[in-house]
Amino acid sequence: MRTHVPAAPETSRAAVAAVDLVKVYGNGDTAVRALDGVSVDFGRAEFTAIMGSSGSGKSTLMHCLAGLDTATSGRVVLGGTELTGRSDRTLTRVRRERIGFVFQSFNLLPQLTAAQNITLPLDLAGRQPDGELLAHLVDVLGLGQRLAHRPSELSGGQQQRVALARALVARPEVVFADEPTGNLDSRSGAEVLAILRDSVRDLGQTVVMVTHDPIAAAYADRVVLLADGRVAGEIDKPNQGSVTDALRDLAAGA
Amino acid sequence: MRAAALRTQVSAAARRPGRLILTGLAVLVVSFVVFGTVLAQQITERTTRDNLSGTPAATDLVIGSPDQPPAVAALSRLRAVPGVAEVVGRTEIGVSLGESYLNLRADPGTGPLSTTRLVEGSYPDAPGEVAVTPRTVERLGLTVGTVTSGFGGERTGPSPLTITGVVATADDAGYDGYAPDAVVSAWAGLRTVSQIDLRLAPGASADTVRQGIAGVLPADPQVRTGAEVRQEEADAAADQVGRLFVLVGLFVAVAVAAAALVVTSTFRIVFAQRMRQLALLRAVGANRGTLVSALTAEGALTGLVAGVVGVAAALAAGYALPAILRASGKAVSSPGLPLAAAVAVVVGAVVLTVLAVLAPAFSAARVSPLEALRAASTTAGRRGIGVARLVAGLLLVVGAALAGAATFSRLPTPEQESYDPRPGMLLLVGSGTLAFFALVALGPLLVRPVLAVLGWPLRQFAPLGRLAVGGIGGAPRRAAAVSVVVALGVTLISAVVIGGASMRVLSDREMALSAPADFEVTASNGSLLPDAVVTRAEAARGALARMAPYRRIDDVTLLRGTDRLGSAESGYPTSDLDLPALPTTEDLDVTQGRLADRGPGRIVLGGWVARETGLRAGDTARLARAGKTVDVRVAAVLPDHGPLHAGILTDRADLDRLGAPKGYSGLLADAARPGEDGRTAGVRALRQAIGGSDGVGLAVLADERDRNDALLDTLLWIAVGLVSLTVLIAVVGVGSTTALSVVERERESGLLRAVGLSRPGLRAMLTAESGLYGVIGATIGLLLGVPYAWLAVQALGVNAPLALPVLPLVGLFAALVVLTALAGVLPARRASRVSPVTALGIDG
Repeated sequence: MRTHVPAAPETSRAAVAAVDLVKVYGNGDTAVRALDGVSVDFGRAEFTAIMGSSGSGKSTLMHCLAGLDTATSGRVVLGGTELTGRSDRTLTRVRRERIGFVFQSFNLLPQLTAAQNITLPLDLAGRQPDGELLAHLVDVLGLGQRLAHRPSELSGGQQQRVALARALVARPEVVFADEPTGNLDSRSGAEVLAILRDSVRDLGQTVVMVTHDPIAAAYADRVVLLADGRVAGEIDKPNQGSVTDALRDLAAGA
Repeated sequence: MRAAALRTQVSAAARRPGRLILTGLAVLVVSFVVFGTVLAQQITERTTRDNLSGTPAATDLVIGSPDQPPAVAALSRLRAVPGVAEVVGRTEIGVSLGESYLNLRADPGTGPLSTTRLVEGSYPDAPGEVAVTPRTVERLGLTVGTVTSGFGGERTGPSPLTITGVVATADDAGYDGYAPDAVVSAWAGLRTVSQIDLRLAPGASADTVRQGIAGVLPADPQVRTGAEVRQEEADAAADQVGRLFVLVGLFVAVAVAAAALVVTSTFRIVFAQRMRQLALLRAVGANRGTLVSALTAEGALTGLVAGVVGVAAALAAGYALPAILRASGKAVSSPGLPLAAAVAVVVGAVVLTVLAVLAPAFSAARVSPLEALRAASTTAGRRGIGVARLVAGLLLVVGAALAGAATFSRLPTPEQESYDPRPGMLLLVGSGTLAFFALVALGPLLVRPVLAVLGWPLRQFAPLGRLAVGGIGGAPRRAAAVSVVVALGVTLISAVVIGGASMRVLSDREMALSAPADFEVTASNGSLLPDAVVTRAEAARGALARMAPYRRIDDVTLLRGTDRLGSAESGYPTSDLDLPALPTTEDLDVTQGRLADRGPGRIVLGGWVARETGLRAGDTARLARAGKTVDVRVAAVLPDHGPLHAGILTDRADLDRLGAPKGYSGLLADAARPGEDGRTAGVRALRQAIGGSDGVGLAVLADERDRNDALLDTLLWIAVGLVSLTVLIAVVGVGSTTALSVVERERESGLLRAVGLSRPGLRAMLTAESGLYGVIGATIGLLLGVPYAWLAVQALGVNAPLALPVLPLVGLFAALVVLTALAGVLPARRASRVSPVTALGIDG
């Protein structure tokens, strides 16, 4: 057990960092503090998992970090850029140019082919895809035969690999993955996690993954534990056992 | 289970009344249109009755009719009958005033039975006196105090007529005169009048008066009450309104069919969105029949709500509109409250919706219970069509093509003498109907190719365009369903526009012949115009433009060598009218040759002269008159006759060489300025030019042209208005389809926003998708509408040209695309407001 209270975040070095982040839903008596002063940073070229039980605020944290949602107070800094208080237009551009997403339910556009889905964010940004990187990703992800297929013609694992390619091909500063294995069988899930880990190792990609699965978390370089909207601990170099233990301790109120 | 399934569906519908209205919007609009038409008919009929300018309302009894004219002598005898307050003889005679014409009517001028109101001078009270309407003052140059002479009725020789006053009337044709019955009958020597109107003294008994009438008139006089006569007149007017509305009903029926298609499509979308829920019901034990009846019940409820709202809205509009019009000084009557029609419309709306919902309900009920267990929330829509549908569609195409080919083979040739357009038109309507159903059947197959061509520029334009095109192409069945309705509307409108343009060319051609200029001044009985008239007219440059004096002789014959051509005994009417001086010459249709080749030694022939003489363009012939001859070549042949009924048009010099008199037979002139003022100024100038010359008359040809143009315009606008109903339904269909698609694709919108599509970008994409329905529909509509309109114009057999009014058609295309895009603006706004987190539906 190597749980310790984190030091003040070194925002300049981090790929993305939250400083004293608070998110309140509703108001008055019904107000819910989904995030209650979270300060955490995520290092470059690092694979970090955010863990916690349902309602711990892990998804909310990810939405705020990714510029999908705005925090009530506190700051979010992405690679030296302040995201707090930015307009929807700016946040949209940040998402388009500097962030990649992988979702639990794949979220591919049904009317586009796999290839079109992969290059969608680049198309929206009006950028040409890096041909070499694209070929590399297609090769690594085993999508060579599937590029002309539409999502409805692909299996769940294949769809998630298309979503991974979409997230990685734009070389974003951070890839956010929200329960990327939640809808997959264990073999497809393992493949997806291995690809995420390899992207960090081989391409120097920064990955932040929200999960509640200790097996998935074990692929990460570091685990941040969340409980009741606060950072409840951190595990470096996690393995399945250490994560399960930490979660059990957390649930027991340790 | 049945009740439970029903409850699930109906309560779902009741919880979201907005969705219910959205689904039934087309039914709502079409209910509004149908009931609105019922009310419009009532309003028109009542307005026509209430504003009828026939027998005045104060008329109690009417004696005689144009078939049984009472004697003039009866008037004085009737005035002596006790209980009779007023006796008015009605009659109408044509009066010739030199070259012009006056319609002289008997009217008392004052009192309840009068139909005129004196505005200037005094009302006539002695034979030879007459009052005229304001337009007559302008057109015929008859001011108060003018003394002219004319004859009419039994009078055969000219007799003086003095204008004593100007009267305002309900209808003013520009050649109307009025005088009391005694004045008219005395001046014109009439023995009978058309009818006699009686007004009873207050308190007088109609029966007693009738007996008194019988006592003073010859046996068995025809006596009707004023109410009866008014009713007859009103019925005749209402009958016309009724016939007009039968035509309106046809177009409304097309709109109803369009609405049925739109509703079917919207229900298909709504049910597709609920596939999982329906599958769940199936999984827990509901059978297909249960689902079908539950979904049909939902359709019936939708139809009921939409029908009631539509009827209520139409009723509100039907009462508000006449009130507003009345406030602005227009005499428009309010409709009644046709309850039976209202109920019928609501019932019809329910039946229509139930029929429309059946097909989607059956296909939705076929959902596999397994669907409930699928992970993906939406299942991909089917792209293709079934074999049966393909075969049916192809058969329909073959049928449409055969009927079209049959119409084509029956088209009349220019030489054909008698032609009945009805079978051809019927075949064409049949072909069009088959083509439309073929479109419905094969639509999904057409969407992708059409999109591939039309979407190309959009795809190059931006990734947004590519997404929009992809969004439409991803659901071709949906796109086809709504685009087909747009296509129907565009087909109808483009056909009307093309037909209208062809008719206008045709009408311009005829006008170029019968009314080549605004005014014509002619001398009567073939005599010549005094030179002074031409000189004075030419001096009046301020009011007149393009003066074209011409000569016309009737004794020119055509020879080949020394053989006389044709059968005309005395010769052909020949004119040296200076065609290039008339702007209407451009409208002339030429069968052979070119009008520009005209000149000295060249002639233009009317078609009938060409047929009689066997001459064609390029042939040579010899003009002969009174022993003199001129050799000429035929430059051009006109379809029937030339302007002003000329058979041969020659150059001025050739007519001189034939020894024609130097003096002019008549002159044509245009008003220098447009509008009524310019025309009045032109009339005045020519009247001054004519001065007191005997037997010289002035005809305002432009009035005829204006009446013709106005009639054509009115008919065209009515037709466009009627077919616009279908376009309205189509736009409603596009709007509701986009709105429902947006709901269905909220998650997709969320994803696009998450990966970096801006809010305006998302709005633009969804609006573009909506507009693309219009692009697809309008393209298909034009592809169908243009050939069908051309065939229809040809099948009418009126020898109209094929006009392609490019600008109106491009405008129509653009308007449709803009309208359908606008229909998507609101749904697009709603979609873009949803935050990406909510849209993605990720639970925290």
